[in-house]
Amino acid sequence: MPKKLYWLQCGGCGGDTWSLFNAESPDVAQLFDMLNIELLWHPGLSHKSDDELQALNVRLLSGEEKLDILCVEGAIIRGPGGTGMYDAISDKNGSGKPKKDLAASLAKKAEHVIAVGTCACFGGIGAGSDIEAVGLQFSRWDKGGLLGSEFKASGGMPVINLPGCPCHCDVITGMLSLLSADMPIKLIEKYQTPVEWYNIMVHQGCTRNEYHEYRIEEKRFGEKGCMFFYLGCHGPLVKGPCNKLLWNRRSSKTRVGVPCFGCTLPDFPQPYPFFETRNIEGIPIKLPSGVNRPHYMAYKGMAAAAAPERLKERKTGI
Amino acid sequence: MKRIFPMNRVEGDLKITLETDKGVVSEAWSSGTMYRGFENIMIGRGSLDGLVITPRICGICSTSHLYAAVKALDMICQTDVPDNAVRVRNICLMTEMIQNDARQAALLFMPDFCNSRYADSQLYEEAFRRYAQLKGQMAIETIRESKQLLEIIAILGGQWPHSSFMVPGGVVCVPGATDISNCRYLLNTFRRWYEKRFLGCGIERWAEVRSMADLNIWLEESESHRNSEIGFFIRFSKEAGLDKIGRGCGHFISFGALDMPEHTEIKSLNGGKTLLPAGFDLTPFHQRNITEDISHSWFGGHLEPKHPFEGVTKPYATGSEDKRYSWAKAPRYEGLPAETGPLADMIIAGHPLLLNLAEISGGVSVFVRQLARMIRPALLIPFADIWLKEISASKENFFKDYEMPESGDGFGLTQAPRGAIGHWVKIRDSQIEKYQIITPTAWNASPRDSNGVRGPWEESLIGVEIRDDDNPIEAQHIIRSFDPCMVCTVHAINPSPGPSPERRGESSVYSPFPFREGGRGVR
Repeated sequence: MPKKLYWLQCGGCGGDTWSLFNAESPDVAQLFDMLNIELLWHPGLSHKSDDELQALNVRLLSGEEKLDILCVEGAIIRGPGGTGMYDAISDKNGSGKPKKDLAASLAKKAEHVIAVGTCACFGGIGAGSDIEAVGLQFSRWDKGGLLGSEFKASGGMPVINLPGCPCHCDVITGMLSLLSADMPIKLIEKYQTPVEWYNIMVHQGCTRNEYHEYRIEEKRFGEKGCMFFYLGCHGPLVKGPCNKLLWNRRSSKTRVGVPCFGCTLPDFPQPYPFFETRNIEGIPIKLPSGVNRPHYMAYKGMAAAAAPERLKERKTGI
Repeated sequence: MKRIFPMNRVEGDLKITLETDKGVVSEAWSSGTMYRGFENIMIGRGSLDGLVITPRICGICSTSHLYAAVKALDMICQTDVPDNAVRVRNICLMTEMIQNDARQAALLFMPDFCNSRYADSQLYEEAFRRYAQLKGQMAIETIRESKQLLEIIAILGGQWPHSSFMVPGGVVCVPGATDISNCRYLLNTFRRWYEKRFLGCGIERWAEVRSMADLNIWLEESESHRNSEIGFFIRFSKEAGLDKIGRGCGHFISFGALDMPEHTEIKSLNGGKTLLPAGFDLTPFHQRNITEDISHSWFGGHLEPKHPFEGVTKPYATGSEDKRYSWAKAPRYEGLPAETGPLADMIIAGHPLLLNLAEISGGVSVFVRQLARMIRPALLIPFADIWLKEISASKENFFKDYEMPESGDGFGLTQAPRGAIGHWVKIRDSQIEKYQIITPTAWNASPRDSNGVRGPWEESLIGVEIRDDDNPIEAQHIIRSFDPCMVCTVHAINPSPGPSPERRGESSVYSPFPFREGGRGVR
C-alpha cells in the first residue's frame, strides 16, 4: 500500500513548497511516482476540486480513509484573540472555520506529523506578533504550540520538526523517503529535529572556513573573509545542512557572502538587528556551543597571530 | 444565486464569491482570507532587516521583495550602485520572472484545460498528456527546467528562495569567470528548452510576430509551432473562448523594473531608467499618486486619505457582519483601480503584438493576458544574456561602501513576476519606524473602494456566462490569468483616500485609454 500524504498550508509564504521543487534526486515528480507515496492533497499541485477536497477531509477525519503522513507548512495562526480567524478556510459553504482547527483534527488522525519549515515548527516570523503564530508543537523555545507538549501521532512519534526558512529540499524528500520505506527516524530530543540533518553546524563545509580558522574577519560586504565576528553570521552557532547539501545544488548564502541568519533557530527571526554581531570587546557574545570563553579568546588571539599572509591579503579563492 | 468559489493552486487562500443571474455573473467579490501582519512585524527592527524579513513574505517572488527592499535602502543611504551590481540584481530578478512564467503556465494555468468541462473536446486528451498532475510531460519538464534555471540565483546569491544578497551599494557576491559562464550555460540551456517547447521556434523568429495576422501565419507555418505550448494554448483558447472573457478593469499599471546600468549595450524599452518602463496606462507614473482604500477590507484605524508613507496597519476582523470582506486592501492610482502583471508591463512598454491583439478585439482578455505571460521569457532571456556577458568583460566592483544614516525615508519600486511591487520605509534612530508594502496581487485582487468601484478581478468577472454553477471554470481561467498570489497580498497595507471628486465620474465606468495617438481604446 502506498503511503498517503496530505500537505496542509497554513500561515506561511509557500517557500517550503517551492524549496521542495528544487529537489533533484528524486525531484518532485519522481518523489511521488517512485517512492510509494500517494499525494492526497497539496494546495499548489493537486487538481482536485473543492468538492473533492471537502469529501476527502470528511473521509480522513472520520477514519474512513487512512492518513499516513501529514505535512504542515506555515505557522499556526491563532489571532485575533485565539480565534484563528486571521487564517480562515475558504470552503464553499462559507463556514470560515479557522485553519488551525483543521490542522489539529488532521494531526490527530495522522500516523506521522511533519512540521516543514521554521514557521510550522516554532511559529517563525509571526510568533509574538498580532497574528499570535505558533508551531505545531512548539512556541519558539517552549514546548506546547498547537498540539501540546504531550502530543504523539498515531505512529508513536511526536511532531517531526524540519526547521529552516525555507527547509532544504533534500531534508523534505529525505524525510519522506524514510517514512515511505518504514525506516527508523532518530530525533534530537530537545527540538524534535532528525539527527540526520540537524546534527551539523551551518558553517561546516563553508568555503570561508580557512578565514574563520585564522580569525580573518570582515567588517564590510563583498570580501572573502569570515563574517562571524562582525557581520552577524550564525554559521558556527546554528545547526543546519546548508553547506553540506548546498542550495540549488550550487552554493550557499555564506559561500557567496551572505551571513547565516540562523533560520533553523526556534526564535528566528532574532529580536536584534541582522548583519551585525553583538560582541564584548570584539569577541562575539554568543560563542559556538560548549566553548569556554577564556580558552576561545586565547585560541582566537593565537590564531590571528598565526594567520598566513595569503589569507590576510585575501589571496585565496573561496 | 450567490456561490462561494474557493480556488486551489494558489499561493495562499483566496475566496471568490459570485452572484449569477440566469447563469451570467452579476456581482463578484474577491476575498483574501489570511492575514500575516508583516508590516507590523517590521516596526522597531534594525535598518537593514527588511533585506532578511521581506523576501520571506513570498516563497515564489522572494527576489522581487529583496530588490524592492534594497532599492528603498539605496535611496535612504543615497548610494550609487556599481554597474556590475545592477547587472547581478537584474539577472536574478529576470531569472525569477522567467522560471515563474514557465511554472505559472504549465503548473497553474494550463492544468485547468484538464477540467471535466472539456471532456468532449478533441484537445482534452492532449491537455492531459501535457499537464496531468505530476505526470504530464510539460508538467514534469517544467519542474526540471525551471529548477535548473534557478541555479543562477544560487550561484550569484547563495540560494533560492529567500536569500539576502542585495545590500545597499550593490551585492555581496564577487562572481568569478566560471560562475558567470555557468550562469550563461544555465540560461542558454533553458533558452533552448523554452524555444523548443514553448515557442516551437527560435526567439528571433518569434520576435517577427508583431500582429494578429503575423500570429495566424506563424501558427499555420509548421507543426512545431502548432504543437508548441503557445500553439496549443492558441488552439485551445479559441475553442474555449478565452479571447472573449476576462477583460480587466480598463487600466494598467507598472512600477518599472530592471534598473539600467550606466554603461550597457542594451537600450531600455522607452529610453528611461528601467528596462521595463513604469507607467499608468500611457501616462507617466509617479508613486505619490498611489493611495489605498480600506472601506471594504478588514482594517480599521482611520479612513482618511494616506500615502504608503503615512498609513498604519490595524487589523479589524468583523467577519461577515458589515461590508468588509477581504484582508486585501484596495490600492488605487489617482483614485482608479489598475491591473498589473506581464500584460500591463508589455502594453506599457508598447509590445506590438499585444497592442495589436488588444486593438483588434477592442480590449484584452484571458487569452491576451496569458499569452503575455508565456511570451515574456522571449523578451527577457536575450537581455539577461547580454548583461551576463558584460559582467564577464568588466573588471568593476560589485559593491560600494555606504553609510547608513540614523534616519531617512526611502521607497523601492520594481516588478515582481506577477506585477508591481513597492516597499515604503521610514528609518528613525537606526530602527524601522514604518514599513509599508504594496504587492501585485493587492492591485489585481483589490476589493471595492469607498465609491463601490470593483477591483480588476471583480470587474473582469462581471458579465461572464457560467455554464455550470458547480464547475465555474470560466471564472477560474479569469482569476488564474492574473496569477493570484495571496500569501503576498494578505499581509495588509494601509488606509488611503478614495478617488478625488473630479475622477469619480470616470472610475465608475470603464475608462478606455488610447494606446497610441488616434488609436482605439483598450479596455
